[in-house]
Amino acid sequence: MNRQALSQELIKLLGAEKVIADELDLMYYSYDSSFLAKQHRFIPDIVVTPRSTEDVVKVMKYAYEHGIPVTPRGAGTGETCGAVAINGGIVLDMSTWDVIDEVDVPNMQVFVRPGVVHANLNEHLAQYGLFFPPDPGSTRMCTIGGMVANNASGLRAVKYGCTEQYVLGLEVVLPNGEVIITGGMKSRAVKSVSGMNLTKLFVGSEGVLGVITRIRLRVWPKPKARGIVMAVFPVLEDAPKAVLEVYQAGILPSGIEILDDSAIKAINMYRPDINLPAAEAILLFEVDGNPASVDWEGQTIKEIVNRRASQVEWATDPKRMADLWEGRSVVASAAARVRPDGSRVFAGEDISVPLSRVTEVLRGIRGLGEQFGIKVVNYGHIGDGNVHTAPVIDPEIPAEVEQANKLVDAIHRLAIELGGSTTGEHGVGAVRAQYAVAEHGDAVKVMQAIKNAIDPKGIMNPGKLFRLEGEN
Amino acid sequence: MLNQVPVVREQIKKCVRCGQCRSVCPIFAEFKTENMSPRGQVFLVQMLRDGEIQPSDKVAAKLSDCLLCETCSSSCPSGIQVHEMIQAARTYVASQRPSFTRKLIFDTVWSSPVLLRRTVGLIRLSQRLGLQTIARTFGLTKLLPGDLSKAEGILSSIPRRGARQQLPALTIPARGTRKYRVAYFLGCATDLLHPEVALATVEVLTCNGCEVVIPSSLKCCGMPQVANGEGTVAQELARHNNCVLANASVDAVVSDCASCTSALKSPRYQEVECGGQAEIYKKVYDLNVFLVDCLKLDSVPGSIPKTVVTYHDPCHLVKAQKVKTQPRKLLRMIPGVELKEIPERCCGGSGTFALTHYDLSMKILNHKVEAIAKTNADLVATACPSCIIQLEYGLRQNGLGMKVLHPVQLLSQAYQSLDK
Repeated sequence: MNRQALSQELIKLLGAEKVIADELDLMYYSYDSSFLAKQHRFIPDIVVTPRSTEDVVKVMKYAYEHGIPVTPRGAGTGETCGAVAINGGIVLDMSTWDVIDEVDVPNMQVFVRPGVVHANLNEHLAQYGLFFPPDPGSTRMCTIGGMVANNASGLRAVKYGCTEQYVLGLEVVLPNGEVIITGGMKSRAVKSVSGMNLTKLFVGSEGVLGVITRIRLRVWPKPKARGIVMAVFPVLEDAPKAVLEVYQAGILPSGIEILDDSAIKAINMYRPDINLPAAEAILLFEVDGNPASVDWEGQTIKEIVNRRASQVEWATDPKRMADLWEGRSVVASAAARVRPDGSRVFAGEDISVPLSRVTEVLRGIRGLGEQFGIKVVNYGHIGDGNVHTAPVIDPEIPAEVEQANKLVDAIHRLAIELGGSTTGEHGVGAVRAQYAVAEHGDAVKVMQAIKNAIDPKGIMNPGKLFRLEGEN
Repeated sequence: MLNQVPVVREQIKKCVRCGQCRSVCPIFAEFKTENMSPRGQVFLVQMLRDGEIQPSDKVAAKLSDCLLCETCSSSCPSGIQVHEMIQAARTYVASQRPSFTRKLIFDTVWSSPVLLRRTVGLIRLSQRLGLQTIARTFGLTKLLPGDLSKAEGILSSIPRRGARQQLPALTIPARGTRKYRVAYFLGCATDLLHPEVALATVEVLTCNGCEVVIPSSLKCCGMPQVANGEGTVAQELARHNNCVLANASVDAVVSDCASCTSALKSPRYQEVECGGQAEIYKKVYDLNVFLVDCLKLDSVPGSIPKTVVTYHDPCHLVKAQKVKTQPRKLLRMIPGVELKEIPERCCGGSGTFALTHYDLSMKILNHKVEAIAKTNADLVATACPSCIIQLEYGLRQNGLGMKVLHPVQLLSQAYQSLDK
């Protein structure tokens, strides 16, 4: 079916204001934040902006009947080409559907539509003294639907876990247009072990099984106090040891972040006023909770890390905390500063390894950077072994792009070799689908069987998560 | 070519498409689709630069969907000056698709103070006779790409005499000891539409020991030209104005218009020099900044009747120049003023944007008017003539009787209270 005919049919079903068919407008949906999308254009045949479950049902029934691929999309902040239509077809832009249906305060849960932006949800919840704990760096941009589809997490996953721990139920439109509700049709229970856990199946399924149209999230009381310990380590190997010692003391910080020497240099180049001390690693431990416990935890962490660190600071003053946190918050932007003519690319950027092997992976990445002649800046959530690597290249020089692709492949394989994963929180999308068998072995066959059962025509977000037999 | 523009050449590859710009853009907030986002605009510029798309009318229309409010640029983690890229792209597209009417308006009329004054006089006349009828009769509605007939009510009644005609001389002596010799960059909008702001500015400056010079040959700052794709003309205006200001031998260049000061500090002005006198832009001050930071005003003689004032941050001040505290400090030091804050948000005016994108501009404006209405303020203060016009219109449309004034007008009123 050509674009014009498809457009006319969808306009008939949804109305013109919900259909984007102009050739130029469609170009804007050809990318996300990934390096792959910088190198290629993935232009959909049509974009639809649904505002109701009924809208999505109409689109899915039509697409199913005609075998048209459908790719749901949130804010397009993903770094894996997960929400771009690599096989063309229909993109569902859920950003426009940003409705908080209900905050059920007594039952500590909230009902949202997929386009709600994470920061906006937490701003709304704050008036009830509640919050949704997973906290990705893209809080101002990313949508809850995207977070659920990718099982996103972020800075505070070490204590609060990932999105999946908070999803109590979902409304999902299946590829054939049927609507199901997971977690119980009428349930408002926080706890349930009834039936197979379909909610868990859909969370993190990256849009290959259906379209999430409503989300029931558990929310938590907002902590009353926070504090930060900054510790400076002249020797990198001491940093993960210090983290382990903090755990062994019975303390679970809300965030433990690492900046290695490459990140420290980048931050100091970008913002000299932050003036981080030169070292092989800096750790930031954030603790939260009630004021008395926060103070005790902070002081105890300080004592523990002081045995290995050359400098330690404990802060609860909001301004000082913001200053200490600033280095971490600017590092993603600062990375590119290590090379004035370069740009940070999002590729191989999210490996996850066991805590015991963090040092090994950081030293390994440094070696790979030297081998492929590419500067790499490293930082991340050391508390759960999630390392963010930021290759900095000139993306307009083909030879550098080629070297970067080789480097990224080597980083992914290093992570698997060290007993880790190619992605800790950003997802697989199209860019890491090739590692599915290496990571999961025969479990990929079960994933394929589930996919085939729910989506026999293979129209839901094809080419993502894992490659089906016969796919390139 | 587009890639030769420094901002495009050096910055475009730095965009990591993180989407932070989506979260702050007033236009994206109205649509929430990627084709109306700043990230999309950067992508558009990239495609244009790489020849993937041609400079068509459609591309020109897409590029015009931006207020140039600089909200995205000021919050971009990668430091990309999105607005400068869009300006460069508009200039490139316009150069490939010359338009007689655009050239007539921005190159010929708006770049000539005499012709502009006469044109505004004509509009004033037509306003008195009913602009819509006149505009339709003479086909004026076709002059701008937007819907002028819808936008005709935006301008309130145009004053009979501009500021230049009302000011006593081109050099006005300081009252008391002279501390500074200051060039007053009298922008087109202040001169022709808000002469009372200009008179207040001159009064407050002279009262505080400034000899005020208003060079007669100054022309438009170039902001309207660059916003409408006539960047080459804007560059010529920058060169001209820089020469005039360099020859004025002044300690500072001051303007009460956020857009003018923003333009005077822009790369356009930084890149030109005149007779070896470079770096005029380093002497440029927004009036509020000059009064607070240079003249060190910390109290105001006289007072105004008790007035609840809310302050609207013009984007070209708060985003482009990071000026937030000084206007508030000035307002708070005026006896009689009680300041009530409203959320920082663009009013949707942005010079000619309200004329070319009337409906969208009104949607953006409505948020602002709602916020203002909630304050129950007596008066709105803001430091940009375009914002004054837009807010006056929005308040009028919503039946709210608040006045909109520049902070310097309240200062001037306080000074004048001593004479009574």
